[in-house]
Amino acid sequence: MVDLFTYLQFVLAPQMVTGLVIGVAVILMALGLTIIFGLLDVINLAHGAFYALGGFVLITLLGLGLDFWVAMVLVPLLVLPAGLVTERLLIQRVFHSGDRHTLTLLLTFGLSLVMEDLFKIIYGPDPHRPQPPISGAVELLGMYLPTYRVFLIFFGALLIAALSLFLFRSDFGARIRAAAYDRHMAASLGIQVKSVYSWTFALGLAVAALSGVLLSPIYGVYPDMGHGFIFLAFAVVIVGGLGSIKGAVVAGLLLTQVFVLASLVMSPVWADVLVFATMVLVLLFRPQGLFGSLAHG
Amino acid sequence: MSIKRLLLVATVLGLSAGAAAAQDTYKVGILTPNSGTFAKLGQQQTWAYQIAADEINEAGGILGKKIEFVIEDTEANPKVATQKAEKMAQVDKVGLIIGTVSSGVTLATGPLAERHGVNVITSTSWSDAITMDKCSPNVFRVNARASQMANALAQWLGQNFEGKRITYVGPDYEMGRNTVSAFKELAEREGLVSATEIFAPLETPDFSPFFGQIRASQADVLFAPMAGEDSVRFFTQLADFGLNTQYRLTGGSGTITPAELPAIGDAAEGFTFATGYTASLDTPENQEFVAKYKQRSDGQDPTLYAADAYGILYLVKAAAEKSGSLEPAAVREGMADMTWDTPQGPKTMRAGDNQAIMPMYVVQITDGAFEVIDTVDGEIAIGEDLCTRW
Amino acid sequence: MVERELTAATPPVSRRGLSSLNKVALTAFLGALLFAVWAVVFEQPFYLGLATEALILGGLAMSVDLLLGYCGLLSLGHALFFGLGAYMGGLLLLHYTGSFWLTCLLVVPASAAIGLVGGLIALRSSGVYFALITFAMAQVVEKVVFVTNEIGLESPRGAVDVGGSDGFQGVPGVEVDLLLFSLDLRDPLSFFLLTLTLVSVTYLGLYWLMSTPFGRTLRALRTNERRLPHLGYAPRRFKLAAFVLSAVIAGFFGALYPMLRGGAFPELLTFGMSGDAVISVIIGGTGTLIGPLIGTALLVFMRSVVGSELGDLHVIIVGLVFIAAVIFFPKGIVGYARAYLDRPKPDRGRTDNDG
Repeated sequence: MVDLFTYLQFVLAPQMVTGLVIGVAVILMALGLTIIFGLLDVINLAHGAFYALGGFVLITLLGLGLDFWVAMVLVPLLVLPAGLVTERLLIQRVFHSGDRHTLTLLLTFGLSLVMEDLFKIIYGPDPHRPQPPISGAVELLGMYLPTYRVFLIFFGALLIAALSLFLFRSDFGARIRAAAYDRHMAASLGIQVKSVYSWTFALGLAVAALSGVLLSPIYGVYPDMGHGFIFLAFAVVIVGGLGSIKGAVVAGLLLTQVFVLASLVMSPVWADVLVFATMVLVLLFRPQGLFGSLAHG
Repeated sequence: MSIKRLLLVATVLGLSAGAAAAQDTYKVGILTPNSGTFAKLGQQQTWAYQIAADEINEAGGILGKKIEFVIEDTEANPKVATQKAEKMAQVDKVGLIIGTVSSGVTLATGPLAERHGVNVITSTSWSDAITMDKCSPNVFRVNARASQMANALAQWLGQNFEGKRITYVGPDYEMGRNTVSAFKELAEREGLVSATEIFAPLETPDFSPFFGQIRASQADVLFAPMAGEDSVRFFTQLADFGLNTQYRLTGGSGTITPAELPAIGDAAEGFTFATGYTASLDTPENQEFVAKYKQRSDGQDPTLYAADAYGILYLVKAAAEKSGSLEPAAVREGMADMTWDTPQGPKTMRAGDNQAIMPMYVVQITDGAFEVIDTVDGEIAIGEDLCTRW
Repeated sequence: MVERELTAATPPVSRRGLSSLNKVALTAFLGALLFAVWAVVFEQPFYLGLATEALILGGLAMSVDLLLGYCGLLSLGHALFFGLGAYMGGLLLLHYTGSFWLTCLLVVPASAAIGLVGGLIALRSSGVYFALITFAMAQVVEKVVFVTNEIGLESPRGAVDVGGSDGFQGVPGVEVDLLLFSLDLRDPLSFFLLTLTLVSVTYLGLYWLMSTPFGRTLRALRTNERRLPHLGYAPRRFKLAAFVLSAVIAGFFGALYPMLRGGAFPELLTFGMSGDAVISVIIGGTGTLIGPLIGTALLVFMRSVVGSELGDLHVIIVGLVFIAAVIFFPKGIVGYARAYLDRPKPDRGRTDNDG
């Protein structure tokens, strides 16, 4: 029999660290979703497609001979204008309708169909996998961990912190929160609400694309690569509270740990059921999620 | 407007459909996934069919009729596949449907083939059920089923790893579960000790949550019958965590093929499996096939799926010539216990369950190449005829 | 800025003759019959089968429209009810009974029960939460079905096996006993006519229901949910009733699927199915009931006939048409057809000659 200490060291602890990597992936996706919802009230069903777009732009840039790190900086910058255009062409058009929620959800659903199919046509059925920019493994407390995954945990945490700082300490962040709190008041105070909307939407998508870049060395690049996490990401956003940054982080860590630890003892399908049950339970008692909205932090 | 015009359009549509039915070609439906997870397999098969058809057509066709393909995309979805199969049978009036990949699709086309009196020949589906408890008189299989592969590999493992612990990691769907359960029984019969069974959902992005269970199982041998993208992710992530060298890695025939090997790289070293085909087979027939295939595929080696697919049209040709007709019923009759040559060696279509008997090869990946380390006789690997429908 | 809303049908116009909605429905019905004549004359059983499939999927789209168009609830997981209906119908026919009517009799209450559970969970939330919960619910159930084989039931034909990821096949052809005569559903024309009848009856039933106080309450609820409790109504009960009814319709038409295609598979529960139903509703016209049927027919034509020609490209076309419909044609095909039929006519002494 395996004794308890060995089990902790070789099974449970690596499992939890592994869960942290998935946690970072899911939180990054959830952050984009939640910022966009928090400000624009838009559920972006094309989020997974923009995550994949990040991966595809990355392999295109690598194919041109660019370095991974350079590409990593370039991809979100390239996706930003795509986000602005999407917001202007699709979201703005139905923004003032009474059915904004439903209409934007439908529009982004249609967009995801088109984008994923375009990826298929342009990039073909072959799998793509960029090499991790950092190879090798490190030993940490007796655990053997791939260096790139350790890097991801720290870099992801840094990114999340930077985003929160941007939203809660910067001038533009203050404008975003002001517009989320009361758009008419913000407008009358001279904030260009319309452009704040566009940029925030683009920012959310750029974050999705950046997560696509960061995760593609581990998970590969393929048209529906977003589907693997979108379920968890939506669950995280709902449990954390639509529009809440803190909620996305806390729920992201919580749910991914529930998921990986449950995967140890049960079929992952039932781990999914468990995540869903958690989500329903939270909704039953706190329909607005664990934390408040973007405007309130 | 114009009921008249409507009727006119209808007439034109009806006539064109009628005209298509008249033919002096032999129409074959390629019903294969061109999108989704299995798109690559669809493409490899289609290349092989086209090579075989070109060869046969150049030599005068089958009973004087040229082979003509009708290609439809199943999207690897039985809902789409059944609809497209109906179309092939009723609109295109094909006598033969080939190319189905996922076992669910092949099984779904069975009753349909019986209803319309056409034949289905698969070269890729592995589920034992297709030629066992869910066998159909109209459905044939030219590739080795899961249990043939399992018999061969288990025999080899028994000789080399008797008394050792083995852990199974399967993709969580019918084919994966069948493969694991069949293999588990055989491995235990050959003297291995089963440690743990783990099933991971198809298209799992991150396999590392399962590594805990793998570590905890303290096994010597790992049996992982993954396929495609899942294989690539599973083996590279296993290597990322330094686990690849701690076990003898084994798996299914399609787990690591020439298509996956470049993406997996060193992480595939030592991987051992049993298969009905590998491009490194040293026979003149095979070398000729490999050369032709590489021209079509832009230099890729043929996979198991391509080789098995290539043999189908030659089986049909031999069967039709034996019974003197390309009518589906005559082809069926001709195929019974027919032995024909393929790049993989001679195959025999067993009449009792419509399953091909073929020699099996044990292959190990060494220095990035597929090396044949053992051969298992076809009669040993095939197992009993468990089909009871006829 | 133009107001774009997914509006429900206005109450049936109580003029003499048919309302514009029913004119569209009647035209569609006659069109379907004409199509059947064409298919029989030119011996096109495949297209009859395809049209039958379109009608069955149209039933699913109608059930989605009942929620979206009349209650303002967007379900992204209705394939759940359709798929489970297909599984139940197929398994009943395969293992227990050969009777069409008995199968229907059992699937309807079972779908209602599933709808009740689903509704109690999903209706805890509203708006986008509702959409996401229904989406997640269908995903989870699909995954469970995907890995489920034996369900612990014994039938006269052995253990009931739902077949996991492969699903199950071999559902025998069904004969429908109609007292005076019986219809053999293996005959494509009989199946088509039966499905057309069932779809028409469902349409008329829902159309009638929407003119009752129940339907009017739903519409009121959609317009202003907050005001309703003050008028003495309990909104959630009405929504739950609509949800259950919608699940029953989806489940019932789901049960027809294995009779047509001989089996059921987990793919019937996927988001692709739910999404197609929503696309059909939007393109055809939200809140019109007949629109979703027309939308489904178009979509099936796109996916099967155009898809065979264009391959992957057709998905892009479907996506773009859908986006354009949401932005530029929010009323859908039927919405515009109605606007055309209801246009103010020059007064010609009130002759009513459109019988």
